[in-house]
Amino acid sequence: MAKLILMFKDQVLKEFPFMKESITIGRKPDNDIQIDNLAVSGRHAKIDKTGSGFTLTDLQSTNGTFVNDKKIASQKLNDGDRVIVGKHTLLYVDAETDQAEENNIDQTMVLDTAKQRELLAKQRGGTGKETEKIGVLSPLGNSGMEDIKLTKKLTRMGKASNSEVRLSGLFMGATAAAISKRPSGYTITFTGGMTKLKVNGQVVKDSAQLKDHDKIELGSHRFQFHQRKADSF
Amino acid sequence: MSTVLTNAAGLTDVGLKREDNEDSFFADSKLGLFVVADGMGGHLAGEVASRTAVDLVIKSFQSWTSRETREEELFAHPDLSLSKTGNYILSGIRLANKVIHEMAVAHKQYQGMGTTVAVLAVMPDLVVSANVGDSRIYMVRNGRIERLSKDHSIVAEQVEMGIMTNEEAEHSPLKHVLTRNLGSSENVDPEVYEIQPTNGDRFLLCTDGLTDLVPDAEIRQMVVAEDDPENLCRKFIDKALTRGGHDNTTIVSVYLSGFEKQPSRAAKKIGGFFVDMLSNTKQTEK
Repeated sequence: MAKLILMFKDQVLKEFPFMKESITIGRKPDNDIQIDNLAVSGRHAKIDKTGSGFTLTDLQSTNGTFVNDKKIASQKLNDGDRVIVGKHTLLYVDAETDQAEENNIDQTMVLDTAKQRELLAKQRGGTGKETEKIGVLSPLGNSGMEDIKLTKKLTRMGKASNSEVRLSGLFMGATAAAISKRPSGYTITFTGGMTKLKVNGQVVKDSAQLKDHDKIELGSHRFQFHQRKADSF
Repeated sequence: MSTVLTNAAGLTDVGLKREDNEDSFFADSKLGLFVVADGMGGHLAGEVASRTAVDLVIKSFQSWTSRETREEELFAHPDLSLSKTGNYILSGIRLANKVIHEMAVAHKQYQGMGTTVAVLAVMPDLVVSANVGDSRIYMVRNGRIERLSKDHSIVAEQVEMGIMTNEEAEHSPLKHVLTRNLGSSENVDPEVYEIQPTNGDRFLLCTDGLTDLVPDAEIRQMVVAEDDPENLCRKFIDKALTRGGHDNTTIVSVYLSGFEKQPSRAAKKIGGFFVDMLSNTKQTEK
């Protein structure tokens, strides 16, 4: 039985075997394939059984319907075609290719074939790295210093020569503060010494998670923190 | 310069349902290295995998640290976002992966074997945490708990992408399917984090035998309430067994203390200046 595999960013969400002559795709709940996303029109497209195969037709959707990145009005589907609706992808799998599904009665299944498990296992790196964000410290005031990219997992700030960010000041500690990139994001930690650490005017005695545009003060040094996409540098 | 005292303990239990213990661990406060691994594979292959991972990570770390090996000469390409120690750990894990993978390919009885690994390195000025798979590293600092590891499982990644909720992940039949482990492929991409240690930090490395049965909030509570790492390990094992002990369970706990910080030279100088000034003032007041 032929089927459509609904995917979002290479993640398999659901499978839709062709059980009817006509299938509708759209945001409204009465569609056979409901995709709840604003980029999808209420009634976006439909697929009709034509002869031995299936034909996809765009229903004058706002954002259009694409097959393998080409915008279409109406087109017959071939095995492996990627139908793009809004930000979602529907992968069309022809009947002959789809042998494992013959016994299947369920309307929707998730992750039941080794192939799908592989797909998920493969999504490593592909989606993660492109959108990776790097923290940046922009010095405020007339320090003459340039933006500091926080490329290291641990950035030490202080007087010590091994500090990634060397700061002067009479009471500045060897390591006054440290910024680490953790699973939860960038976090700044006060590591001791006489120089106070402030984030957005509040004294930080232990740690604070950093958000875009946070203002950091360490002694007389002031920075603004932001995150930029890795590929924007 | 600061010094740090490390008090650590480790404990493992086969649990109530399994015949063999395929977990391995290592804890050495002097070396400052702590490792936990959860093996998989039939006929004791799991034990071989986890033991090999632990041994290789330790041996490579000891060797490179004692020789102060340059990052370019390590087993793997250095990661520029990490410190030297961080790269020692990264390379050690990659090396372990290569060896386990080759063993699995070359020997029928080891086919399909693999293991997770979670590593913690504690230096006076740096803590490195690294993991592959779903064994975890927690840090409890100032009463708050935080993970210093990322689960490499299908459900964790789906939760991160917003496709699944935490609730759904808990009950998913795919809960234990990993997306990364040591042994199944030639290359592996470990998760590595580096942080600055502070006085009173408490760390925990554990396999999923524990985390399947005890949620993060409860782990936090138990760590905060127990001042002795050995007692803590015992308590966790007991809790896991009380709740069914469905899997091998391994815990390593590391408590930091005794941070001695030298007062800054500037403060000493200024302090000295004032002392002089005050003694002079006293004299002139006479």
